[in-house]
Amino acid sequence: MKIYSQILVALLIASVVFTSCEEVINPDLQEADAELVVEAWLNNKPEDQVINLMMTQPYFESTTPPGVSGAVVTVQDSEGEVMNFVEDVDQKGNYRWSPSIPGETFGIIGRGYALTVSYKGETFESVSYMGRVPVIDSISVIFEESSPFYPANSYSCEFWANDLPGSGDAYWIKTIKNDTLLNKPSEISLAFDAGFSQGGNFDGIAFLPPIRTSVNPFNEDADGNLVSPYLPADSIYVEIHSITYETFTYLNQVVVQTNRPGGFGELFSSPLSNVSTNIFNVNPKGSKVVGFFNVAAVSGLGKKVKEN
Amino acid sequence: MRLLTFLLCIASLTSQAQVKHTISGYVKDASNGEALIGATVFVKETGGGGVTNVYGFYSVTVPAATYTLEVSYVGYEKIVQQVSLEKDIRLDIELKQVAEQLEELIIIGEDENADKVQSIEMSTNKLSIATIRKIPAFLGEVDVVKSLQLLPGISTVGEGASGFNVRGGSVGQNLILLDEAPVYNSSHLLGFFSVFNPDAVKDTKLYKGAIPSRYGGRLSSLLDVRMKEGNIKKFEVNGGVGTIFSRLAIEGPIVKNKGSFIVAGRRSYIDVLARPFVPLLQEGGALNFYDLTMKANYNLNERNRVYLSGFFGRDNFLFDNNQGFSWGNKTATLRWNHIYSKRLFANVTGVYSSYDYQLQFGEDNINNFKWNSSISNYIFKPELSYFIDTNNELNFGGELISYSFEPANAVGTSNGDVVDASLARKYNRESSLYIGNSQKISSVIALEYGLRYSYFQYLGEGTTYTYNDTIPGVRKTPVSEKNYEKGETIASYGNWQPRFSLKVQVSEQSSLKTSYNRMVQYLHLISNTTASNPLDVWTPTSNNIKPELADQFTLGYFKNIGKDNQWEASMEGYLRYTDNQIDYIDGADILINKFLEGDLLSGKGRAYGLEFYLQRKTGRFTGWVSYTLGRTELQVEGINKGSWYPARYDQRHNFKLAGFYNINKRWSVSGDFIFTTGTPTTFPTSRYISQGILIPYNANDSRNNVRIPSYNRLDLSARLEGRTVKRNGKPRKNTDYWVFSLYNVYARKNPFSIYFTQLDKRYVNGDLLQSQAVQLSIIGSIVPSVSYNFKF
Repeated sequence: MKIYSQILVALLIASVVFTSCEEVINPDLQEADAELVVEAWLNNKPEDQVINLMMTQPYFESTTPPGVSGAVVTVQDSEGEVMNFVEDVDQKGNYRWSPSIPGETFGIIGRGYALTVSYKGETFESVSYMGRVPVIDSISVIFEESSPFYPANSYSCEFWANDLPGSGDAYWIKTIKNDTLLNKPSEISLAFDAGFSQGGNFDGIAFLPPIRTSVNPFNEDADGNLVSPYLPADSIYVEIHSITYETFTYLNQVVVQTNRPGGFGELFSSPLSNVSTNIFNVNPKGSKVVGFFNVAAVSGLGKKVKEN
Repeated sequence: MRLLTFLLCIASLTSQAQVKHTISGYVKDASNGEALIGATVFVKETGGGGVTNVYGFYSVTVPAATYTLEVSYVGYEKIVQQVSLEKDIRLDIELKQVAEQLEELIIIGEDENADKVQSIEMSTNKLSIATIRKIPAFLGEVDVVKSLQLLPGISTVGEGASGFNVRGGSVGQNLILLDEAPVYNSSHLLGFFSVFNPDAVKDTKLYKGAIPSRYGGRLSSLLDVRMKEGNIKKFEVNGGVGTIFSRLAIEGPIVKNKGSFIVAGRRSYIDVLARPFVPLLQEGGALNFYDLTMKANYNLNERNRVYLSGFFGRDNFLFDNNQGFSWGNKTATLRWNHIYSKRLFANVTGVYSSYDYQLQFGEDNINNFKWNSSISNYIFKPELSYFIDTNNELNFGGELISYSFEPANAVGTSNGDVVDASLARKYNRESSLYIGNSQKISSVIALEYGLRYSYFQYLGEGTTYTYNDTIPGVRKTPVSEKNYEKGETIASYGNWQPRFSLKVQVSEQSSLKTSYNRMVQYLHLISNTTASNPLDVWTPTSNNIKPELADQFTLGYFKNIGKDNQWEASMEGYLRYTDNQIDYIDGADILINKFLEGDLLSGKGRAYGLEFYLQRKTGRFTGWVSYTLGRTELQVEGINKGSWYPARYDQRHNFKLAGFYNINKRWSVSGDFIFTTGTPTTFPTSRYISQGILIPYNANDSRNNVRIPSYNRLDLSARLEGRTVKRNGKPRKNTDYWVFSLYNVYARKNPFSIYFTQLDKRYVNGDLLQSQAVQLSIIGSIVPSVSYNFKF
């Protein structure tokens, strides 16, 4: 919210007052050793669950991150059940768990999960748990002839769901528009209870308006003008993923570090710093590791946008 | 019998010669009655004298005799007066401004007698309003704070930064006073303009070190801005029309020669001008700032004078009637000067000051979000000056400040449900006592020494948290909380602050000065962005946050060169050690965070440097060159692996040049050039992808390991004085002048920051994420402007 409001304020200033300028540059960067990246984001959707192991790359190397082969990856839950992740033969670095019975899903709400990765004689561990998630009651489509944020005659969407009563739930809201996941850093939508932060005290009510309308992409056409987020015949599918408080903190840091609108927004932005990780080398003096482990329960709802 | 009478006469004559009397009074400007601050009253026969204080009052005590008094002030004609001192005399003097000449007399710095009289001051810079008006200004608008930035030891991190840095101190370590009232955010429009209206300002003085014991509360500097009292003799209107805003100031007598007032206002109108082009502004959006500076004063009688000053300023960025963002300061000061005796001058001040910002979103009452944050304080400050004799001036007094913080008053309404996310108010009290003496030991050595004691209390009602001990650099979580009743002392801190300065007059034209200061700061400006901005939060010392401390040493050599002291040169070194400096964990959450203290880290700082300054004071061509070589760094457990790292505002080389040239009676030109080393920043070394987002990563855990490119800029401006005679030959009553200026003449895109991000496009499955680095400049082109200024 704070970042959202800061960015909008900055955009307003920029549009009216001065033109700042930006230039893409190619500075020299210090070298550093590659580190292990463990990306373990599991959920209870009826599909295969994949954990990715990669190495970090030099910052300007925009190639596919090198996958890490030959590791042993397992997840054990608080009841003692062990789930094995087997490396794909054709895809280095992908470690897959497949349902053994049709319809089986990964994970049960309320259970804890421990991840163990063994690689080159070192062991890396992490713990998480699967939190609960509310159902999405509905999605509304709003047609506006004029609005301060969108161009004239826009269709925008809003989802309706209530945070579950009892403080401490955190969520990641993902939106899929026409089979494309809205995945830009500015589109990461997070909630703690129904609000933005732990100190907020927004428990048990409908998600706050900026969260409900976070399902709208800000797209620009070739001339740089904003276009309507949705058009008739578009389909929208909203998923709420439950995340732990640690994951919530991590994703907020990711937003701060990656959502750089540039221009006057930089006056309000934080300098570069590393995001956190919840994966640790059992030997504190051993190799470093980055990445994150989260087990999510997911609820989803879709809608087709109709002409007004 | 005759012998006895004779002896008695001799005896009485001799004893009379030992009796001392006092000459005291006010020094004022003859044209408008404004008290002159820092004017010199030089007693030729003793080689000493006094300097007027901030209210224009002086007091000189010498043995009974006849003296020649020389009263002088920069930019004014000197008055020489014979005084026969048989009893205490009240002598108020009015000085005439120097008539405009081609060869302008000193407009920058002190007059020649100042050094002889006292001038123990070091590490201070005084800029007259006349000089400030000549410096080429951004968008043609004269600015007090921007002009200070041309002096040695002062810098900023770039355009857009609200605030300035003094000798490697952070923006929140400057005490900014407007007629004794603290100003928490001295900028409009994100640092492009300051809140001080030049039409209402009489005097600005910046102390970079050697801060006298009567001041305290911030570590790095004191910017003391004094407002004009208002023309006590006749009505006067000053104003100007410029590209960004217009100003109008009206001043005049309330009762002629007894009381006067001044009201000065400014408003920007860029939103009015831009309205036809920007749809947002047509639907209730607004982008403006304005300020109103007012003062009234009244001489109750010869010994009593009362002043009432006020300031109100606001910046508004609104999307429509219900949504937007605004901030501003409000101050009100009531002062009473009382002359107890010729030697005892007292001033009692009462101040109310507040700073707040507000954000509001939501188009109706069912769905909205309102957030505001404020800091307000009440101050009571009695101060006394006792002019013991020409060699000693004793100052003592106290200060009582009561603070009330509202870190966040945040209410959100979602679908009709109202939720209050407000943080609790915090209450604090700061009490101080001080005593200080300026002493002239001989004609060669002068000392100023003093002691200040301050006591800070964190009061209930309130709730405090204690946090767990964890690896430094990781967010601390609260482990316990404790509630306190109203008025209970939760935490308290007392600090002694010795102050000391020494001047040795090495020769008639040169002197050596050294000083030591201990400063304490109880309020902390929390800002983890690249530059400070209006959303930064002031947070008080608490059970978790300790007071910031600083020890500063300075040593300098000052020399006047040439006949008539046409040149002034100085070289001053400084060293400041600071403790309990606040820094932030990576990913700190600063706003509306009840557990903010868990995201803060505490460490040490050190700043050191050498300032060189050369100024030509008289002649058709005047100006100065300043160069500062400095370093400021921090050491915090949990950042940069615990090693020293440069602060965000560390600029090794800081070079500035300012020049003023009078072409003829009507045209004058000025220019300035600035070069500073780029500020430090953190670059990544590596990248990885998490959930389809590119994450930049610094595998060495370093902070501020690189510098952005340097900042340099040239500005030029020309001033055309209006005609002094009308077409028919009669002299014009009114004066006016035009200013034409060019900011950033060679259109350099001075970098503000370099940020790393993935290329902004829609990535679908299988697409490779492209990394890029982008350099941002806030002003990237030449900015011309015109302004018209009038006075009648």
